Amino acid sequence: MNRIFLDVHALQTVPPSNLNRDDTGAPKSAVYGGVPRARVSSQAWKRATRTYFGQEHLLDPSELGVRTKKVAEVLAARITALDPAIDGTEALQLAAEVIQGATGSKIEAPKRKADAAKDGGQEAAPESKYLMFLSARQLDGLAALAVEGAADIKTYLKDKDNKARAREIADTRHSVDIALFGRMVADSADFNVDAAVQVAHAISVHRVDNESDYYTAVDDQNTDAESGAGMIGTVDFNSSTLYRYAALSVHQLAKNLGEGLREEEPRTAPVRRAVEAFVQSFLESLPTGKINTFGNHTLPDAVIVKLRTTRPISYVAAFEEPVTGENGHLRGAVDRLAQYVPDVERTYGDEESTLSWVLRVGPNTEQLAGLGTQAHRLSDLVEAVGQAVAERLDKPV
Amino acid sequence: MSVLVLRLAAPLQAWGASARFVRRTTESAPTKSGVIGMLAAAQGLDRDDDAGLSRLAALRFGVRIDQPGTRVRDFQTAHHAVTGKSMPLSERFYLADAVFVAALEGEGAFLDELHTALRAPVHPLFLGRRSCPPALPVELATRDSSLLQALRDEPWQASGWYQRLRGKEHTVSLSVLREPVQGEEHGDILRDQPLSFAAAHRRHALRSVVSTTVEVPNPRAVAPRVPAAAHPVPRHEPFDAVEEETL
Repeated sequence: MNRIFLDVHALQTVPPSNLNRDDTGAPKSAVYGGVPRARVSSQAWKRATRTYFGQEHLLDPSELGVRTKKVAEVLAARITALDPAIDGTEALQLAAEVIQGATGSKIEAPKRKADAAKDGGQEAAPESKYLMFLSARQLDGLAALAVEGAADIKTYLKDKDNKARAREIADTRHSVDIALFGRMVADSADFNVDAAVQVAHAISVHRVDNESDYYTAVDDQNTDAESGAGMIGTVDFNSSTLYRYAALSVHQLAKNLGEGLREEEPRTAPVRRAVEAFVQSFLESLPTGKINTFGNHTLPDAVIVKLRTTRPISYVAAFEEPVTGENGHLRGAVDRLAQYVPDVERTYGDEESTLSWVLRVGPNTEQLAGLGTQAHRLSDLVEAVGQAVAERLDKPV
Repeated sequence: MSVLVLRLAAPLQAWGASARFVRRTTESAPTKSGVIGMLAAAQGLDRDDDAGLSRLAALRFGVRIDQPGTRVRDFQTAHHAVTGKSMPLSERFYLADAVFVAALEGEGAFLDELHTALRAPVHPLFLGRRSCPPALPVELATRDSSLLQALRDEPWQASGWYQRLRGKEHTVSLSVLREPVQGEEHGDILRDQPLSFAAAHRRHALRSVVSTTVEVPNPRAVAPRVPAAAHPVPRHEPFDAVEEETL
């Protein structure tokens, strides 16, 4: 198997903030190198990354797919669009059968709604028990199949080849977010998709003790006779320079995306778009915890991206001994990376075949300049990475 | 017999043996199912490849606790993607700041194959939970020795600060949790012998674990203080520095 991994490393400084809190309201923490550190969970940053795709329109909605229980209705509409002779109940029935055949999940009217229909209510449409996430391409494929077998769908799906085709359609050409972050379908194990992305918990490169802000608020309607605060409370926060790391299996992503969403473009095009969207989104997104309280909108100060044929390597061990900076922590963290990266790459990496890029801001990060091809803008970095990925994918093993 | 020796170090690791539903706990040392799962991921085995798995699970497994780490509790909320409603709150436990040496004993050629797979894995590796990538590459070596011998011989992998913390000890005693050798009395029982990783029917069998300790040298041990008698107190006369005032 042709293995291609992309690893993304970022140093990002965040001022007083509470990006990701635990059940007591305090920012999450961990211990590393024997001292407490600030931590932002991988789940929080994955969610931020995923949400960012949609908000920033990094990808066409057709590449994102729909997540719904009402898959039968969605598919029925496509069946009707494809063959206007089939509509209404017939289209719904076809849709339900095809989805059932393709995914193995039961599609039926929920009991409560079916009962209501019996008592003279509206006819209930069949639904899946779980939220199903189907890409536009998968829905198109299933609709075509339904139209083809419309004469007698049950017999049509009993045919081994047809059934296999239905499953194949539902299990390839996934939407980009499913292909990146994976999917679990509780009652249909072979319909699961293994995530192509691995995101680590972000941790601070230095020791962090949480602080607590005591605040009082004035009640504007109180008279002078009613002295004192309208309310008092505390908000926990910290500030940190975070090391962020994510690894992307490009080969897994290519497998998940299958032949892509558009017929006319090369096989590598959807993978390239997904990789570019991920890199940009991972670097620009920020979990939104308490963002209106602290206004901690920052972007990474330094980014290193590696494209490899051997395993991805996290550089977190560079910060196992906590950075103790007199002039902030960024400079110290950069010095560490500048020493550590060449060292670890020489020892464990595959220097010959690995491509490296660096994106950096300000004089504090100058030392990283030699670690890879410098990109001047994030958009340049994203494009260069996307292009290299496409070239690697095209290369015969 | 040969042994594949691994170093499992990361800011966070999580090795669940009985974690279910919303409370995801961790054992205090890597489980066999977790480490075998990592090797299976490296080889790119399918989840329902029970035959491939049984070949891995037949390896004899042992682990040494080089740096025990501390437990971190993570509290997680989730929201329904469509309705926005809160999902059940979940609790996850991690081992922070821990370092382990894991060893697998088996046939040499197979272990070499695994060693290569770890260098260029099909799926990225993680230590018990996907969000826990290793801090350094995990593969240390394949050696011609027994499991116990390998766990005895491997230098102490703990971090510098931790070795200095125990600097007064010239040799440290490390816990080893390993499978018994033939004829050895059975130890504790843990349900982490993987039978199947298939998502529809994940199964684990009971496995017996013997706890012992091994002694390894501490490379950062400080020389003990030489007793006072060996170093006579030097003469110290503070007024020597002051010149006598002459009238």
